[in-house]
Amino acid sequence: MPSLLEMRGIVRSFGALRANDGVDLDVQSGQILGLLGENGSGKSTLMKVLFGMLPPDSGTIVFRGHELSHHHPAEAMAAGIAMIHQHFMLIDAMTVVENVMLCWPQAGRVLKTADMAARVREASRRFGLDLDPDALVASLPLGRRQRVEILKAILREAELLILDEPTSNLAPTEIADLLTILRRLRAEGKGIIFISHKLPEVLELCDEVVVLRDGRVSGRAPVAGASRAQLAHMMVGRDLVRSHVPPHHALGAVRLSVKDLAAAGFGPLTLDVRGGEILGVAGVDGNGQIEFVEALAGLRPVGAGTIVIDRCDVAHASVAARMRAGMAYIPADRSATALVRRMSVAENLMLRDSNHSPYAKGPLLVRGPAVAKALELMAEYDIRASGPGTVVMRLSGGNQQKIVVARELDRAPAVLVAHQAAWGLDPGATRFVLDRMIALRAAGAAVVYVSSELEEVLEISDRIAVIANGRFAGETPRAEVDLRQIGIWMAGRAA
Amino acid sequence: MSNPASSLPAPASEQIRKPPRYNSFRLQLRDNLAWRILAAVVLSMLCAAALIALSGHNPLTAFAAMAVGAVGSPHQIGAALNRTTPYLLAGSGVAMCFRAGIINIGAEGQIAVGGIGATAVALIWPSALPELAIAASLLAAAATGAVWAGIATAIHLGRRVHEVLATLLLNFIALLLVKQMLVRPLGQFGAGFLQSPQLPAATRLWRIPEVDAHFGIVITVIIAAGLSFVLWRTRFGFALRVAGNSRPAAAYAGFSLPRLTWSVMLLAGAVAGLAGGIEVLGVHRRLIEGFSLGFGFKAVTVALLGALEPMAVIPASLFVGLLEAGSLSMQRQIGVPSALVVVIEGLTMLFVLAATVRRV
Amino acid sequence: MTDLLAAAIRIATPLVFAALGGILSERAGVFAVGLEGMMLTGAFAAVVGAWWSGSDLVGILLALLGGAAIALTVAVVAVRFRADNMVTGLTANILAFGLTSYLLRELAGGGGRPIAIHLTPLAAWPIPGLSDLPVLGPLLFAQPPLTYLAVLGCLALALFLNRTQAGLTLRATGENPEAVFAAGGNPMRVRMLAVIACGAVAGLGGAVLSLQQVGTFTDGMMGGRGYLALASLIVGRWNPWAAAAACLVFGAAEAFELRLQSFGVPVGSYIVQMAPYVIALVVLAGLGRSTKLPAAIGQPLQSD
Repeated sequence: MPSLLEMRGIVRSFGALRANDGVDLDVQSGQILGLLGENGSGKSTLMKVLFGMLPPDSGTIVFRGHELSHHHPAEAMAAGIAMIHQHFMLIDAMTVVENVMLCWPQAGRVLKTADMAARVREASRRFGLDLDPDALVASLPLGRRQRVEILKAILREAELLILDEPTSNLAPTEIADLLTILRRLRAEGKGIIFISHKLPEVLELCDEVVVLRDGRVSGRAPVAGASRAQLAHMMVGRDLVRSHVPPHHALGAVRLSVKDLAAAGFGPLTLDVRGGEILGVAGVDGNGQIEFVEALAGLRPVGAGTIVIDRCDVAHASVAARMRAGMAYIPADRSATALVRRMSVAENLMLRDSNHSPYAKGPLLVRGPAVAKALELMAEYDIRASGPGTVVMRLSGGNQQKIVVARELDRAPAVLVAHQAAWGLDPGATRFVLDRMIALRAAGAAVVYVSSELEEVLEISDRIAVIANGRFAGETPRAEVDLRQIGIWMAGRAA
Repeated sequence: MSNPASSLPAPASEQIRKPPRYNSFRLQLRDNLAWRILAAVVLSMLCAAALIALSGHNPLTAFAAMAVGAVGSPHQIGAALNRTTPYLLAGSGVAMCFRAGIINIGAEGQIAVGGIGATAVALIWPSALPELAIAASLLAAAATGAVWAGIATAIHLGRRVHEVLATLLLNFIALLLVKQMLVRPLGQFGAGFLQSPQLPAATRLWRIPEVDAHFGIVITVIIAAGLSFVLWRTRFGFALRVAGNSRPAAAYAGFSLPRLTWSVMLLAGAVAGLAGGIEVLGVHRRLIEGFSLGFGFKAVTVALLGALEPMAVIPASLFVGLLEAGSLSMQRQIGVPSALVVVIEGLTMLFVLAATVRRV
Repeated sequence: MTDLLAAAIRIATPLVFAALGGILSERAGVFAVGLEGMMLTGAFAAVVGAWWSGSDLVGILLALLGGAAIALTVAVVAVRFRADNMVTGLTANILAFGLTSYLLRELAGGGGRPIAIHLTPLAAWPIPGLSDLPVLGPLLFAQPPLTYLAVLGCLALALFLNRTQAGLTLRATGENPEAVFAAGGNPMRVRMLAVIACGAVAGLGGAVLSLQQVGTFTDGMMGGRGYLALASLIVGRWNPWAAAAACLVFGAAEAFELRLQSFGVPVGSYIVQMAPYVIALVVLAGLGRSTKLPAAIGQPLQSD
């Protein structure tokens, strides 16, 4: 029987980087194929090529017997391919039915809203999606919003669904619901490509697994009979998660003390972190992390509570005052907050410290010492760029993050707040970031490491807290971690 | 709540372009940028030439007449320099605002009220202190311009009205204010039209004898150089540039966005007000209605042509000043309407905008 | 009183067209700062077209084309080339000012004097029956044709935006153009078409002033009306009827101010003339920033 989808020899480069280096892929009807790989392995690129968002440099795509080439998403959708994006492509200000009708000829030139609403209700019932056509997307929790995307795919009679990292925004109960929906779709004969870097989900759901590494297929196997270790090895060529190494030094005094901190979107939260300790804050994204972290860093106003760094309450202090008190902050948004992409490496290295030496004398900036300092930091943190004057947006994500880390750590902070510090980085860069966290701990700082990637948190944290619905659902020392309990804490937020 | 990664670009692999080759501290593409702007100017002149040809005139003779009209005699060069002065001043102030991401198009209003301030002080300045008359009048001009910009800033920051609309609407109000001032407190009784009495001789700006231009051009070049210095060599300028690139980054860097906005707007307002004062003291020798018409948009034009770099705004405003000075004789001698210059300016701005967009 | 209302309607009509056009542009995600230039070009094309061809209808059609032509420059530079919306709009206004003044003089054979065109303003088209009603009859139902068109335009725009696929796509492009692309649409094309349509409709607004009301064209005759229309559509929260109502309020303010002047009020006459602008500022300041602002307005489209 011919495959539903055949991709052969897909090559796609970005400058010197070969994101896809001759990839072959087959998917059958009524099959769930897992596409597994680390960040930077080429999974997203491959799917964007399939869906028509990027043209391949070479290779062929045959879907239901017809070749797809030089196509745009409109043609891919007309052929029967639907993509459920990692960052939902929905119009928040519009209703569910309006989002379904968008750019869909079947909804008519003059919109047949009532008909469409009825179809939404019917499909929602049939697949257990529980969606109200007149609900505003902005009012739906993330798990439901994802279902709007799935609903669109179903209504447009897609035969192949591509889900790109679908569980990154979901709580464990929502994940279970999603897997049920996907199994129902498989039973109806749809083909599904399930992209993920999380091994356990892929093993639970998929029929077959294809593993990508550095742009190439490094392994292909049916799930039945494959072992975790085998697949992990195909993914990274090494063991996936390092075990936690407890610190070799004694803990110092409490350096960061947060009491009953509350603001819009979270609280009250209380935590204490000692010098020489890493507190990991795990949790599904969207449970108040960004609000909490920005309130700590001074980018959002604090409603109530105190933040004490080495006996100095900074809860209502400015960002600059917090830096003086010894707080360093690595924001999740690398491109628009942590860095100014159009400025040079040197200017970014001095971004937060431009008001004191060596970068400035009084109101004036001094060039010579600034360049020297930049060269010194570039060497120490292995920032690969042609020179301190290189514009940051030309650098890879890993090197960009090194600039952020270098800047914050060079201040020898008392407290570091890191949010999604290894997001979107390839394994080498991720390793760099995690190692620096550990080094900072050894230097006696208090580190708060907030991340939705549980493996990272498990690897470096001495204590782990779980945030759900803006509060701490639970806390445990690393040595006593029970993964099931953590899952329960994380599920504080229902679909 | 949206995933923080939704504000991140696609994985870095998809964003790598050809590796660059610069080592200088200053920003990217400065040389490349100059060529592109030059190309934009040339292209718009070609379009203008086409327009001239279409209406039956010879473009070459028209441009020649324009050139002669602009620089043909020392007196004409002086006139061109006089025109350049307000454009340069207001334009470099506007360039600073744009650098900070604030689109201030209120130069026209700020120039107008600056004229009011200079006229008022000039008329009431005691004749016992002639040496300080000019300085006092110009200081008043700068102060009134800053106040006018301050009103727009207060509305913008306090009530979250977009700065374009706030500064624009205040322009109209300022022009009417000038007219009103010329009716009652500052008007010349008995004159047929709206004007103030002629300003005392003590407030006459010094002149550059060879070209018969007033001293304003020297003042403005110094100020433009000073603004450039501030932009590149001071912490304040660094903060402005960061804010213009990314507001979240500026907050993260510890800069206060409201304070930056106030500072740069007051600065631009003062500079534009000063331009108004110089126009009144140096060119017209009295306050007349509509003396600032069109200057606000000219300021934006030369700011763009100068790629928002005050030092480059100097040649840009000189170019525009020469164009305009020459256009009148082109109209007289060849019959090509002087409004063509405005067309050239508009086209040039469009081409510069299209050619100098920075890719995200 | 009816005088005042009649004057208010008269003054508001050009603004309404411009506001409708501006709504198309802004809801698709492009700031409509170029309305002034689009109106001006439309005004010019209408008068010159009607004068040259002898037909008012030709003038009106040319107004549509003229406004659309200037809008095309905004569409190309701001949407296709991703330049800043506001500055591009301002540039288009400058270009329109220069071009219309230049052509006005070229038509007279060149030199500094503009050609003198004097056309009869458009006559009213009384609606039989309704125009005989007391008080409201002559006020509402004996208006020149373009004024009726303005009302129809509000209805048409409201229906278009809310009931058609094209309108849905346009609104979606102003909220999240990436989502439109992923859904199979072409956000760049949507934005460009929206801007061009904005120009055509705003050009019609210019024609109302020059062709329907005054009968001639003078340099820069829009005098800031385009910006007042922009203020109106913001005050009206990007909704056609509310924007039209805001235009009527500004029209009433100016009509009132004109009446005041003829009464010799002690307040300086120029202060009174500030009324529309001050009111616009006060209303905008009073309202602050709106949550109805299209979420992706002014943001350049992602390059592939």
